[in-house]
Amino acid sequence: MIAQLVELARRRADGGADAVWRRLERTTVAFEWGRLKSAGTTEEAGANLRVRHRGRVGVAGTTAVEGNDVGAQHAGPLLDRALASAELGEELDLAFPVPAPIPPLTTFFDRAAQASLDELIGIGRSLLARLERQGCRVNVAIDRETTATRVANSAGAGGEYRGTGFGVSADVWRIAGDDVLVVSDALEGADLPSDEALTALVASITARLDHALRVVAPPQGSLPVVFTPAGLSALMLPVTQALSGKAVLQGISPLGAKVGEQVFDPQFSLTDDPLRVGRTASRPLDDECVPSRALCLVERGVVQRFIYDLETAARAKAESTGNGQRGIFGKPVPAYTNIVLGDVGAQHAAPLPLGGGLLAGITDGLLVDELIGVGQGNVTGGAFSHPVALAYRIERGEITGRVKDAAVAGNAYELWKRVGSFGNDARWTGSRWAPSVLFEGVSVARR
Amino acid sequence: MIDRLTAALARSRADYTEIRVERTWSTAVTFRGRRLEAATASEDQGGCARALHAGGGWGVASFTSLGRLEAMVTRAAELSRAVPVDPPIRLADVPPHQADALLDLDGDVRGVPIAEKKRLLEAYNGAMLGVSDRIVDTLAVYRDEVSEYWYVNSEGTILHELRPEVTLSGTAVARRNGTIEKGLESIGLRRGWHSVQDKAAGFREVAERAVQLLDAPRVKGGTYPVILDPELAGVFIHEAFGHLSEADFVYENPQARKMMTLGRRFGKPVLNVGDNGAAPGLRGTLPFDDEGTPTRDTPLIKEGILVGRLHSRETAAAMGERPSGNARAISFRHPPIVRMTNTYIAGARGGGSLEDLIGDVKLGVYACGAFGGQTMLENFSFTAAYGRMIRDGRVAELVKDVVLAGNLFQTLDRIDHIAADFRWNQMGGGCGKAGQYPLPVTEGAPHVRIEEALVGGELAA
Repeated sequence: MIAQLVELARRRADGGADAVWRRLERTTVAFEWGRLKSAGTTEEAGANLRVRHRGRVGVAGTTAVEGNDVGAQHAGPLLDRALASAELGEELDLAFPVPAPIPPLTTFFDRAAQASLDELIGIGRSLLARLERQGCRVNVAIDRETTATRVANSAGAGGEYRGTGFGVSADVWRIAGDDVLVVSDALEGADLPSDEALTALVASITARLDHALRVVAPPQGSLPVVFTPAGLSALMLPVTQALSGKAVLQGISPLGAKVGEQVFDPQFSLTDDPLRVGRTASRPLDDECVPSRALCLVERGVVQRFIYDLETAARAKAESTGNGQRGIFGKPVPAYTNIVLGDVGAQHAAPLPLGGGLLAGITDGLLVDELIGVGQGNVTGGAFSHPVALAYRIERGEITGRVKDAAVAGNAYELWKRVGSFGNDARWTGSRWAPSVLFEGVSVARR
Repeated sequence: MIDRLTAALARSRADYTEIRVERTWSTAVTFRGRRLEAATASEDQGGCARALHAGGGWGVASFTSLGRLEAMVTRAAELSRAVPVDPPIRLADVPPHQADALLDLDGDVRGVPIAEKKRLLEAYNGAMLGVSDRIVDTLAVYRDEVSEYWYVNSEGTILHELRPEVTLSGTAVARRNGTIEKGLESIGLRRGWHSVQDKAAGFREVAERAVQLLDAPRVKGGTYPVILDPELAGVFIHEAFGHLSEADFVYENPQARKMMTLGRRFGKPVLNVGDNGAAPGLRGTLPFDDEGTPTRDTPLIKEGILVGRLHSRETAAAMGERPSGNARAISFRHPPIVRMTNTYIAGARGGGSLEDLIGDVKLGVYACGAFGGQTMLENFSFTAAYGRMIRDGRVAELVKDVVLAGNLFQTLDRIDHIAADFRWNQMGGGCGKAGQYPLPVTEGAPHVRIEEALVGGELAA
C-alpha cells in the first residue's frame, strides 16, 4: 500500500515524504478509413515518491510494481533513488499538507466502466454509418479507461478514488485533387456518452463539412472574426500560461504583477474547476493531497490569482491551490483541471448552429475553427500569427464558404480587452468550456 | 527473457503473434535559471503483445507488469478475434532474423553518477546565463537512457538490442522591458556520455542570439526568395513532405493514393528526398524496426519525381510494395505505426554553398533554425529561430518573427537551388503522430532555396 511506502520513506527522510500510486486500464477500438481495424487494451501501474531530506527535495518513479502494491523489493530501490535525487536538490521549505476535509465527488461511472468491447464497437459503427458520405473517408476512435489513484503523505493526509473516462473522436477526410479537407470533433467525458451527445458530434462535423465544400476567396484587412470554441486555443493559451504560478515565479508572466487589476474585458471570467461532475480531469483532491476546489482566476476582467502546486507555492511564498499534478515519472507540476471561460451552463443537447448566433451583424468577416501552429513561437507574449487550417468567410451575416490561404494575427491580451460578444454555443473542447467569441478588428491577410 | 517470450508465443492461438518487452533506465536533470529543478533516475518496464487472427483486426495488449505477460498475449489474440475485418489484413513477407545488436554505448550513462550529469548541465546552463544580464531565464535539460529491448514474432524473428540515447536542450530567454526573445539549443544522439562533452559553445551562441534578437526588427511580411538553412530545411522536409509519404495515410484512401501516385512530379530535377533508417550513428537509426524488418535507405523523391514511400508490413502488403522498415513505436505502451527515421534532402552535386544560393538574390530572407513547425496536410507553418535579410546577394541584418507559411505542393515545386553542403541535424525532441511522442528521428539537408515563399511576421493587413 502507498501508506506503507510513505511510512518507510518517513523513517529515512527527516523532512517527510509523499507519494502517488496510480493504476490504469484502457480499452480502445479504432476504425481506420471507414473500417474496423483494431482493438487494444492497456494495463499500467506505477508509483511516484517524493522525499524531503536535510532540507532538500528528491523524487523517483517506477513501473516496477506488482498488482496493487509497491512491494518491499521495489519500495527499497525506489526510496534509494528518491534520496539520491534529494542529495542533489536545492533546499526548499516544502511542507506536506495536514489532513483536511475532501469534497465528495463522483468520478466513477458504472456504465462507462462496464461497457463491453461490443458496445464500444457499436458506438463506432453507428458514428461511421452517420458520417459516411460520397468522396469522404472516416476515422473513428473510441477509448474507455478506468483508473485508481491513491495519494498519501507523511503528515497523515491522503485519499483515494476511482475514475472512468470515455472518449469518442471522429474525423472526416475529403481529398479532391490537392485540396485536403479534414473536419473532426471529439467527445470526452467520465460517463458513457448519451445518444444526444453522439448526435451533436455528428451534427457538428456535418455542419462544418457542408459549409466547407465550397471554397471562397478570403477577406482581407482589419475585420470582425468569430473564433469557435475549438478555434479559441490560440487566444486562450497565452492567458493560461500567464496565470500559472510557475510562469509568475520565473518572471515571464505578463500578468505577474496584475492581481486586482482590470486587465481584460468585463465579459471575461476564467475558472479552474476540478469538481465538475462528469469530466475526466475532475478529482476530489490533487496529486499532492490538497483537497480540490473551484478557483476563480479572472473575474469580470480582473485578475484574481494564479495556480500553484506545493513546490511552486513554497518558492512563491503562496499557498498551493490544489493544482499539483504528477505522473509516474518526474516531479509534480502546476496544471489546470477543467478551464471554464465565462459561466458554466448546461451542455446543450441540441446541436447549435455554427457561429453561436454571432454572425448576424457581420457584413464581411471570418469564422475561425482551427489554426496552424498554435503553441509555436513566443506564446506567453500574447502575439500570434497563424495560417488558418479550417475557416469560413462570413458575408452579410451568413457563412458563404471555406477560406484557404489566409492568416490571422493579433495579440491575445489586446483582443481580450475588447471582446465583441460571447456566443450561445458554449461546450467542452477537451477540458475547456467555452463559447464562440467575436472580436472586432482582427488582422486577416491573404496569401 | 527470450525463452519466456518464445514459450508465450508457442502458446498463442493467433495466426500471427509478436511480443516486445523493454526495460529502460533513465536519468533526467533540469535547471531553470540558476536553480536545479530536478535530478531524477527512473526505471520503466513493460511489454506489448500484438496478434492477428485470419479475418480479424489487430489485437493489441500493453502492460507494465511482466507477471501479466502470458495473460496479455492471450488477451491480444482474443481482441483480434473480436474485431472482424474485411478484406483481411495481410502482412508483406519479411524473412525471419535472429540478432543480438548491442549498440555502442559510448560511455555507458548508467555508470556515470547523477551528480556528474548535474555538473555537466550546470556548466552548459551557466554558459547561457553568463552571456548577459539580459538573460532573465533559462531552461536546460539533460536526459539519458539505456533501453534493453527484446522482440520475438511467430515467424521466427528473435531480436535483442541495447539502445542508448542522450539528449541535451537549452532555452535562453532574453528580456528587456516588455520584449521577450529566446534561443534554443538541442542535441540528440543515439550514443552515450562521451558524446555530450564540450558542448558549451552551442549553448552560449543561442543565448547571445536571444539577446541580439531584442534589438532586431520583425521581418516585414511578404513574399520573398527564401533560403532555408540545413536545420530548417530538414524540419521542413520532415514535417511538410515526410508525413505524406507515410503509407498508412494513403493505403486505404483512394483520393490520398491518387494525390500521392508514384511518378507524380513534386519538384524540379534538383530535388532528391529520402528516409534512411540504416544511416550510421544517428538518433533515428536502428538495425530493425518494431516489426523486425531491417531498416534501409528509401528514396522518396528522385530528381523531382515521387518514387517511394514508407511502409509497415501491413501497408506494404496492401499496396504491393516492399516493406521499408518504418514500423516504429515510441515504447511498449504503443503498437508500431508507420514513422520516419532519418529523413533528408540530398545535397546537390556541384550545388555549392550558401553564397552560391544568394548571389543573384536582390532582396530575400535567410531563415535559420526552427522553433517549431506544424503541417496540416498540404498547408504548413514553420517558425524559424531567427532570420537574416539578404540584400544584393549578401547576408545582411538580423530579423525576428520569421514565420514561413504555405502550400506544400507549391513550395516543393519552387525549390530551385540546392547546395552541396549537406549535414545531419542531431537534435533532441522528436516526432509526434497518433499520440506517440517523442519518437527519436533525425533530419538532414543542405542549404535550400525556395524561389518565392510567404514570410509572415507583421501581417500587411
